[in-house]
Amino acid sequence: MRISTWSRAGVLAFILLLGVLPAYSFSTEVSFKADTILRIFERDTASEKDVAVLPGYEYLQLDAGQLEDYGLSFHLYGWGRADFADHNYYEDQTAGELLYGYLEYSREENRCNLRLGRQYIFEGVANEAIDGLRLSGDLGDYFALSLYGGQPVGLDSTNGRSGDSIYGGRLAHHLGTDYEIGVSYKLIENDSDTAEEMLGVDFSAFLPADLSLFGSSTYNRQTEDWAEHSYELRIPLGSVLLKPHYQHFSYQDYFSTGANAVNPFRMLAQSSEELTAYGVDALWQVDEAWTLGGKAKFFDYDQSDKAETYTLLASWQGEDLTQLGGEIGHTATDNATGNDYTLLRLYGYCDAMADNFWIDFFSADVLIAYYDKEIYGEDNSLFLSLGAGKRFLNDALTVKLSGDYSQDPYFDDDMRGMVTMSYRYDKQ
Amino acid sequence: MANKSLLSILTLLAVLLLVAACTGLQSRSALPARHPSAAELTVSPKVCTNCHERGTELAYERYVHTADFGKNHRPEATQGEAVCAMCHQTSFCNDCHATRVELKPSLKNQAETYRSAPHRGDYLSRHRIDAKVDPTSCFRCHGNPKATQTCARCHG
Repeated sequence: MRISTWSRAGVLAFILLLGVLPAYSFSTEVSFKADTILRIFERDTASEKDVAVLPGYEYLQLDAGQLEDYGLSFHLYGWGRADFADHNYYEDQTAGELLYGYLEYSREENRCNLRLGRQYIFEGVANEAIDGLRLSGDLGDYFALSLYGGQPVGLDSTNGRSGDSIYGGRLAHHLGTDYEIGVSYKLIENDSDTAEEMLGVDFSAFLPADLSLFGSSTYNRQTEDWAEHSYELRIPLGSVLLKPHYQHFSYQDYFSTGANAVNPFRMLAQSSEELTAYGVDALWQVDEAWTLGGKAKFFDYDQSDKAETYTLLASWQGEDLTQLGGEIGHTATDNATGNDYTLLRLYGYCDAMADNFWIDFFSADVLIAYYDKEIYGEDNSLFLSLGAGKRFLNDALTVKLSGDYSQDPYFDDDMRGMVTMSYRYDKQ
Repeated sequence: MANKSLLSILTLLAVLLLVAACTGLQSRSALPARHPSAAELTVSPKVCTNCHERGTELAYERYVHTADFGKNHRPEATQGEAVCAMCHQTSFCNDCHATRVELKPSLKNQAETYRSAPHRGDYLSRHRIDAKVDPTSCFRCHGNPKATQTCARCHG
């Protein structure tokens, strides 16, 4: 089906549905958010060393319509950037992107939802941004269906958008809260050539003794073989949650995306490597504030040697967003061309400090990495980040000042500063 | 060609079925469009089971935001997008999942250290190792021509 047909069918369905809507009083709520970010750092360019780079970013978000209830609404979010120093660090002095902008209609009775415009689709095998239409809703008590079609945003940089299309959907069957199983499909065409055609099955099952099982499998219709299997079991044992997991990937089928193929994944699609990953996560909720955890994951390859990662973590949750935490992890590879590293992270965020300090919140982050083999003559890296902020105008305006320092294989002494002003306006 | 025509017809039928369902059929008990915000509640909305009984309208326990939920919510998001949308707008997800952005997640929200933003710190060095160990995790976000532009500077 060509995109023009899809567009016509989509618009027609949208108009048909709007036409049969019951009359209702339409109340308009408006929410507007603007994040203004100014950064400063130094970089080498093709012609100069240590030139200042001064990018300014504007992120704008607008939501209008019935935002707190089912009904009609409009949503828009995007960003733009200008480099005020103009030392040719960026390929273009200005850049920007509309991340999403869509009209949405939803109703309560059968969770019917329609979206028209640029939007993200994240369900089943789809993890895409599209310009098009998505319809979803329950089909009675036991089934739900979603369908989408349009043009994939991710392909607008390859020979324009002519001949680009995407469509797919997901049919789900559920029995109360006992289980849900979904079948999904996605077809992407790039310049009229098939780029991706994937079929997927996903499921969740809630078993006796509070056990739950989640999984998904993806089948590549072009290579005609399974690309991925991912399964996870959750076992609650009092305040401890165990999560054993298993994954299997076939590189040829997982990375093979036809006309959609891009570096650095194009070469992986030509390999016949298969990866099996398995392990367990354990989380201990000591009390309302403390969480301790450990993770182990093992990687077995069909052709390469093995690898494994281990992580220990701890976090303390205070009032509001206040949190302290840390984790230490080690990644080991048996591969002669690989490398091992140990990573330590300590972080903190203190919220609601205004009672004792002029600022409202404070943040700190430290990351230290040790590499088994040197990278550009360095076997470690240090990263420090500090931030502080204050809220004004009844919390409508937040001003944040943050900076970071890095000493690593790529940068000797790198400092970056950032000022962020976030303004939010809500009208009920 | 015959397969494509059949698929087109099936798709149109499914669209019509969905439109009919949206205008006529009833379904299981519906969830509210929005969940009360943290400011409106006296307990943290991150722990659903503080207020909601397990296994009633929803399997609430799977949506409890444990300490590693930020790094491990794929099963919930692929099956329960509507549940996520009760509390989070897409822009919240975009802080980590948007790949058509210049600022990596840990830079845009640099001061929000409580969020498990990917690629924090010197990830340029670590990605050389992580990508060899498990390139499938890179591909999920950087696997199309637009999203791979951040890789293109070095990888072509």
